[in-house]
Amino acid sequence: MIRLMLTTALAALPMAAVAQEITVGAANMAPYLDPGRDHSNVGSQFYYNSFDTLIDRDHTKLEPEWVPALATSWELVEPTVMELKLRDGVKFHNGDDMTADDVVFSLNRMMQATFPPYVVRAKDRLGNFTHAEKVDDHTVRIIAEREEPLWETLISLQQIMIIPEDYTKALTGDPDVAEDSDFEAFAMAPVGTGPYKIESFQPGERLVWTRFDDFWGEQAPLQKVNVVQIAETASRVTALKTGEADIVTNLAPDQLALVDNDPNLKTEGSATALFHVMIMNQNHPKLQDPRIRKAMSLAIDRDALNEALWFGKAVVPSTHTMVEMGALHQPDLVTFEYDPEQARALLAEAGYDGFEITYDTAPTYYTNGLLAAQAIMEMWAAAGINGKVQVKDKWSGNDPEMMARNWSNPMYFADPFGSFGVMWAPGGPSQSEGRFNTDEDYAEKWERFRFSTDVEARKAAYAELMERVKEDPAVLPLYRPFESWGMQKNVNWAPMPGHIPYVLDFRAGSISLADS
Amino acid sequence: MIAYVLRVLAKSAVTLFAIVTVTFIATRLSGNPIETFLGEGLTTEGREELIRYFQLDRSLWEQYLAFLRGVLSGEFGLSFVDRRPVTQVVAERLWPSAQLLLSSIALTLAVSLPLGVLAAVYRKSWVGSAVMVVAFAGYAVPNFILAIVMMLVFSYWLNWLPVVGNGSFAHFIMPTIAMSGVLIAALTRFTRNAMLDVLGQDFIRTARAKGLSELRVVLRHGLGNAGVTVISVIGLQFAGLAAAGSVVVESIFSWPGIGQLLVNAAIIRDYPVLQFGVIAVAIAVVAINAVTDIAYALADPRIRLAKA
Repeated sequence: MIRLMLTTALAALPMAAVAQEITVGAANMAPYLDPGRDHSNVGSQFYYNSFDTLIDRDHTKLEPEWVPALATSWELVEPTVMELKLRDGVKFHNGDDMTADDVVFSLNRMMQATFPPYVVRAKDRLGNFTHAEKVDDHTVRIIAEREEPLWETLISLQQIMIIPEDYTKALTGDPDVAEDSDFEAFAMAPVGTGPYKIESFQPGERLVWTRFDDFWGEQAPLQKVNVVQIAETASRVTALKTGEADIVTNLAPDQLALVDNDPNLKTEGSATALFHVMIMNQNHPKLQDPRIRKAMSLAIDRDALNEALWFGKAVVPSTHTMVEMGALHQPDLVTFEYDPEQARALLAEAGYDGFEITYDTAPTYYTNGLLAAQAIMEMWAAAGINGKVQVKDKWSGNDPEMMARNWSNPMYFADPFGSFGVMWAPGGPSQSEGRFNTDEDYAEKWERFRFSTDVEARKAAYAELMERVKEDPAVLPLYRPFESWGMQKNVNWAPMPGHIPYVLDFRAGSISLADS
Repeated sequence: MIAYVLRVLAKSAVTLFAIVTVTFIATRLSGNPIETFLGEGLTTEGREELIRYFQLDRSLWEQYLAFLRGVLSGEFGLSFVDRRPVTQVVAERLWPSAQLLLSSIALTLAVSLPLGVLAAVYRKSWVGSAVMVVAFAGYAVPNFILAIVMMLVFSYWLNWLPVVGNGSFAHFIMPTIAMSGVLIAALTRFTRNAMLDVLGQDFIRTARAKGLSELRVVLRHGLGNAGVTVISVIGLQFAGLAAAGSVVVESIFSWPGIGQLLVNAAIIRDYPVLQFGVIAVAIAVVAINAVTDIAYALADPRIRLAKA
């Protein structure tokens, strides 16, 4: 609240036009910038400052509250057709006016994708939309195959941020045709409509934003932002200390005190909208009995992991849900719990003979991933499971020999469909890798959860899905890791609750610099 | 002499070919870029589509032939990740690395040659011992320890020196010292030993007997001859530095060089970048070695005459 008042007060000052520049030390810089094909945690940091969606949400709020962005209004003209009125006077960073053609082009590059990196991204979340079409210069329609309960949620996805058609097509080859190479070139020279234009971009190294003076909305509060990759954690903290960086990303939990104890510095953080999970292979010959997998899950004391690895700042869920999911958030469901007694009983019932159960992890991919794996082995041992950590770089989720391993289930958008719904869909990534089975009953429940237009019906169907997960588990969400940013005291910035993970939102109202 | 140079070059070409082939196979055996950089939640179908798109569905042998054809025509392909020509990706990173290498070479020579000579000339006094103690200590400290300690002292505590990037002269100080530390120690010891060998020779006594000043004896006749053996060591050491030494230092100081690029490319299995990056570094190493061999031959007539 104090921050909000401070931000408001600062914004009201008449001298807000003073040139303001900051440097961000990021643990990772994106190798390319294209909101369409990217759904990585690295990329998601950067898109919101430079690109707009048709519909946006109020990111200060956890509950979805849709606000106009490049579309000023929208309505369903038929149950499967949404009509959107476009904002006038929107300019792209290259000076082009945004037209209905640009919007249709941007939407169809995903909805009717031919560029393979788009195809794979569009299929899992935009599969229900057949195409977009222009009605007139200010109006477009989006056509869905079936009634869609998540219109606004899906139309505000990063993947369908609006890009300029003529500019993109002219990047390579025939200027009238959208070739694969055009989209590849776009990722090196991205152009959007957002409040900051990308002044320069060195893949994996550096990104410079400057204020875009022709932005359609409220002017960006910063004149210039330099984002520099500082891969080493110690170097990031030192850069903050020397003043070379104003904000640094990805502080490790054990460094928070170091930064917080400095009178000139502070930290901000939040539990990331992403689960680190343990997956179990339903089809491994030794793990086909669900009682074994239930025991593997029940034996893990996730609260202890949270205390030991995250200083209690992570969030341990009782079911596959996140508070960001609004009406669909069902914290009362208890799908996952810690019960070593029951674990032992189930193992005895199943006739577990002490065979070795392997748990794969990459050495460093997930923060605390290896430590968690080792702690889980101890917890398993306490319940009588003979576990062994296998450290390997290579992804083993599609290996029939895989018994258990770590993975993550990010929230790609604020709905259970954006997390569990994508990862555990019938025919989705988990099933297609052969470690998770679905049947007609599961598919029917999933369909009801995905497409029911009544919220209560969706909630009920989701609860039924969670019951299936509980009975024959293939996944255990461990926790939502706690992510922290360090910054100078004069920087007023914090991650907003309404964003997907890691977004560096520097738009008006989201960041300000106090006079120091 | 020409025959000698040609032989050095031919040897270098064979070495390069072997390095390229090993890199090609090793990178492909250890993982797949589709899994490492395209993120989570790919269906098997989607993964196959991308594997086709990146032409990874061809057999290893086909890929290798295509790669060799590319190498011969100067086409090294596109990065899987940012889809730019790898030559461009690597070229951007070569110059910052070369700058750091050159400044380290300069610092190493400027410090270790005088120290080595000093330690040899005053080998019986405390001066010589002190130099050797420092050199020995320097040899025992790995560059990442040196880098972190310097960062802690001069940036974190004192706030004198910047830690990120290569923007100014001040940015060069810590990375250069970190890169040079072990080399200075090694080269000081080596120069001292080479000088001791030479200073005991008959022609030194002759030079002294001629009535030359001690300074002239030591620098001209002593270092002039000891230098021949020192050259070969310098070449070898710097080649090693170019190949591996910079990875850690570049990472710690966010130096936008080739070491950082290669580490990233290795992690995400961006084969084309890794292949060409290794080739570029290998060319540098082989070139430094070749230049050393040739310089050695130029400095020492026995070598070039014996082998020609």
